[in-house]
Amino acid sequence: MNAWLITLIYLINLLIFPLFLVGIIRKVKALMQNRKGAPVLQPFYDLSKLLRKTETISGSASWVFVWSPRVGLAVALITAVLVPWAGTLLTPNWVPATNFLLVIYLLALGKFLTMLAAIDTGSAFGGLGASREATISMLVEPTLVIGIAALALGAGSTNLLTIYAAPMSPLVAILVGSALVVAALAELSRMPVDDPTTHLELTMVHEAMILEYSGRGLAMIEYAVALRTCIFLGLAAQTLLHAWPAYTALPVTFRYGISILSLIALGKAVAVAEGIFVKLKWRSVPNFLAFAAVMSLLAALIAAAQI
Amino acid sequence: MNLSQIDLFAAGAAVLAVWMCGVTRVKTQLRGLLLQTTLLAGICVLLSADEHSVHLAILGLVVFLVKALAIPIFLDRCAKRMGIERDSGANINPTLSLMIGCGTLFLGYFLIPSFAVPEMMNQGAAGMALALIFTGMLIIITRRLAISQVIGFLTIENGIFLYSLTQTRHMPILVEMGIVFEVLMGVLIAGVFIFRINRSFEHIDVTDMRGLRH
Repeated sequence: MNAWLITLIYLINLLIFPLFLVGIIRKVKALMQNRKGAPVLQPFYDLSKLLRKTETISGSASWVFVWSPRVGLAVALITAVLVPWAGTLLTPNWVPATNFLLVIYLLALGKFLTMLAAIDTGSAFGGLGASREATISMLVEPTLVIGIAALALGAGSTNLLTIYAAPMSPLVAILVGSALVVAALAELSRMPVDDPTTHLELTMVHEAMILEYSGRGLAMIEYAVALRTCIFLGLAAQTLLHAWPAYTALPVTFRYGISILSLIALGKAVAVAEGIFVKLKWRSVPNFLAFAAVMSLLAALIAAAQI
Repeated sequence: MNLSQIDLFAAGAAVLAVWMCGVTRVKTQLRGLLLQTTLLAGICVLLSADEHSVHLAILGLVVFLVKALAIPIFLDRCAKRMGIERDSGANINPTLSLMIGCGTLFLGYFLIPSFAVPEMMNQGAAGMALALIFTGMLIIITRRLAISQVIGFLTIENGIFLYSLTQTRHMPILVEMGIVFEVLMGVLIAGVFIFRINRSFEHIDVTDMRGLRH
């Protein structure tokens, strides 16, 4: 296919799809609660509204507060360009080879910036949210590193594009895929770990950190969160798709369509889970995440046994 | 090492057993047992295709019907009638036992060279069978309720069945069928027994059953 066309599709997908996915998740969640819900395009309207508003910055905040969303968005965009979250085949050839550890730590960097800004304003909620977020990301990191390392062992390369272009062992793919789904729920502050819509201060994690933001800053944070949603759910969906042995042999456009559809399906599943699950007690979050860690550890064992 | 499809099925069963170590709801544990035994029945069918033997396919069907369907459904009804939902674990908490279960799988993997029969096809399955046996023991040790002890026993039994299936030149089908129905009888008797314990003591917590008289 034409290189320009591929680049065009890639960029449009990168810029529009994340917000669309967030809209779908919100819509399905509203339907689960027997509400009609906002239209699927609502995140676009929200974003354009927020960009037109003036930003209120607390008098005690420093430059960290102002720069954190901007740098955070840049980091999220770079990560989204590097990660093959919608399949590898339509990746333009100017995307460089990416070590999976780089991606994991770029994601961690984005998180670190949000936490720094939350502490910067000196509000009690920000500090509490940041400390909880740090705990969660500490628990999730082994799952991500070991899980993707298991895939890398199978593919014989640490380059994410090579990993996701090669066929995988179905058992490893299922184990890592489900571990990534659980990790995504925790990293994206989704239901069993954190309630993204809550405004009860005692239980907020992510919301507590971005409480002080308004206007342009909030818009950038929301967009970065949408990108992260796409990256995490996309990686999980791609891994689960590889459990189907014929997947890597399918024609290009077909694979692309299936990738996007499965991403939407996974988003819907997350929304449905949010309607069904009860939020975990803060103390039992480590128990929940331990399952994900064990799944990726076992996947690594099986992948190592297969070489 | 080259893992065959049968080895991967065995690994799936072992992973499910490890997962059962960390689960506290009895109903979810029984679902794990169901899936685990279904995978073993799948191994029977795969082997029957490999060796062109109808006996193994029949055995697979019987294992699926009796050990994967009848027994978990019976235990589930027992639990429902006694009003049991959760087994919070004794001595070691479930999350830690999940980690130890993970360790038993690694142990099983490293024991493959000493336990696998050299001339058999599916070497990896031997290690996974050992892992199933260890994990079953772990479930028995770390659980509080008598019904979980039965689940642990069934996991051990699955391990022994897997070992005999993949590492020997198969017992006569009559013997295998005999064992399957023996297990069914054992579980039925254990179910009735647990009922009696529940009636006399009003709980089935084995950590409280130290002395013979209360």
